[in-house]
Amino acid sequence: MTKYIIQRLIALIITLFLIMTIAFLVVRLMPGSFYDNQDLPETVIQAINAKYHFDKPLIVQYFYFIGNILHWDWGTSIAIQPNVPVFDLLKTRVPISLQINLISLFISIPIGIAAGSLAAIKKNTLVDHFISFMVVIFISVPSFIFATALQYFLAYKGGLFPIIYDAAAAMGTQKAMSMFLPVMALTFSPIARVTRYLRAELAETMNSEFLLLARTKGLTYRQAIMRHGMRNSFLPLANIIIPMFTNILGGSLVIERIFSIPGMGGMMIDSISVSDHSVTIAILMFYSFISLVTMLIVDISYGIIDPRIRVGGRK
Amino acid sequence: MRIYSKEDYRELDEKKFKLVQMDHDIKDEKFEQEPVGFFKDALIRFRQNKASVLAFFIICIVLFFTIFGPYMNSYGFNDQNSDTINMPCKIPLLAPLGICDGGKVIVNRRADLLGDPSYYPEGSILEVFNEREIQGVKMVDVKVDYYKYTGNGDKCFWFGTDYLGRDLWTRLWRGSRVSLLIAFVSVITNVFIGVIYGSIAGYYGGKVDMILMRITEIISALPRIVIITMFIMYFGTGLFAIIMALVVKGWVHTARMVRAQFYRFKQREYVLAARTLGIRDGILIFRHILPNAIGPIITSSMIAIPSAIFAESFLAYIGLGLQAPEPSIGVLLSQGQKVLLHYPNQSIIPGILISVLMISFNLFANGLRDSFDPTLRGA
Repeated sequence: MTKYIIQRLIALIITLFLIMTIAFLVVRLMPGSFYDNQDLPETVIQAINAKYHFDKPLIVQYFYFIGNILHWDWGTSIAIQPNVPVFDLLKTRVPISLQINLISLFISIPIGIAAGSLAAIKKNTLVDHFISFMVVIFISVPSFIFATALQYFLAYKGGLFPIIYDAAAAMGTQKAMSMFLPVMALTFSPIARVTRYLRAELAETMNSEFLLLARTKGLTYRQAIMRHGMRNSFLPLANIIIPMFTNILGGSLVIERIFSIPGMGGMMIDSISVSDHSVTIAILMFYSFISLVTMLIVDISYGIIDPRIRVGGRK
Repeated sequence: MRIYSKEDYRELDEKKFKLVQMDHDIKDEKFEQEPVGFFKDALIRFRQNKASVLAFFIICIVLFFTIFGPYMNSYGFNDQNSDTINMPCKIPLLAPLGICDGGKVIVNRRADLLGDPSYYPEGSILEVFNEREIQGVKMVDVKVDYYKYTGNGDKCFWFGTDYLGRDLWTRLWRGSRVSLLIAFVSVITNVFIGVIYGSIAGYYGGKVDMILMRITEIISALPRIVIITMFIMYFGTGLFAIIMALVVKGWVHTARMVRAQFYRFKQREYVLAARTLGIRDGILIFRHILPNAIGPIITSSMIAIPSAIFAESFLAYIGLGLQAPEPSIGVLLSQGQKVLLHYPNQSIIPGILISVLMISFNLFANGLRDSFDPTLRGA
């Protein structure tokens, strides 16, 4: 197990390096110049080039780039907040994004589990069909459509919630209210995924022999599912919940823009539109890091959650 | 004992031969049913799934409008007109129901100007409500026929216009054409690359397989959003670049699936028989083994279409959408989002279209999966 984890960690670091290299090449080889102003005197351009090593060959620039990152220097923002180190910018934005993402993840799991087991218990009844129908809609419709609809109907027409996120609000009802809609828009898809998965998993468990045994000893259908079937279905569920976090994170890039949340997503969009490349790279690296780590956790957890599965060991 | 050769029989008179079973009854019956092939079998099962059939028809209807919709009125997708900016929906057929009648509520108007034709042209006032007095001036909210109000009474934009006065009906269908084109072309390219790659890896196995699979592992480790974003940043926001961005990671899934199918089937007796007959590798791969994978390939490519549509809209939202003036569903959505509170029709209509498309494609793909592989039903 330890050997496997070490192998995976090395693979993770290599992948991060690969992404970093691609990011470096994308930014350096992109058509267009770093200098918007064509009237800059030649000497100034040369001075800037010399300062940022743009006059050196590409491979040397690459080593400077990697060296800077290894020293935890992600560069300086040039357009979003000029002269502020990118890492400081990220430090203020990332917690807001993570907060919203984690809250939506933790809200969606119990709702999904409840709906999924309800659908399995009431299999092939009206309730089940209704839940399945909602699952199809929640999985298919993109989260930004939900966000737009919620914003227009609940916030603008209904006046129930603030239209945009209130960054200044202190912890409490006001903050909860302003976070409600974005969190809601983000939860629809994970709820549907958990529900669909749990229903399929429970429906399969229903046919297994140990549940037949549970029924023969006198438990009702519902009791058999709740006491014996559910426990068995929770194991594989853990493995779809963790990668869901990456999905939510991706969806929140757009949701944050719609609700004006000052998180990572909005900053990524801004940095792309104003060509603040060092910020874009840093955000993409952060995003890659999170999704790689989640993948690693999933692979390792296979072995921990269900010891019947052996990871990476010998035959 | 004499050994008879072929020639000996030839010399015999034909009449000396007698068919042994001539006067026996044939007991077995002729097949009354038609033989059911793979696709027919799937079709029979698919028809039983009502939701999927409905989804299929909805997709057909959307495809019809996507092809012919832009020609249904006289406006081009890039005809800008500064007189008809942000017009509301006006569909004469639905107008009696009170929706899409070209009406628009204007708030806080002075009541004494209501009769003035220079402010409110003849017949432009539909409804006056919410009368009140503010600082001694009578104020009202007016619902006006926005077309007559702006002096465009003779025009009719079914889905309204955008901030440059472009007809949204034409732009919507032209946009869905672009979005579907991106989805279809990227999925077909994915399948093409994935099938060839997966076939080679699965058929030859061994070292070839190991090297090819290491490459796919590396590619699949890169997060999708990161790769797509960087790709578009580098290659710009052309149609081709967006399609290619969706291909970069998309083919890996097909390749893995095809490879798994090859591992299942390449050891079968019929493959061995074909190989014994001296059939070349190429024919063995594409004629004898690959058709086994056709069901999963079709199903997974159908599932890939809505996610490609989603990815395209996502790119438009983060500012890497298709270059103006070409519309796509994502571009329309992200433009509509900016004016959502004032002109909701500009984001609600493309929002409905993309939702309907995604739901239909998902239902259709579910039906296909169930009909190609009944063991997965309901999974």
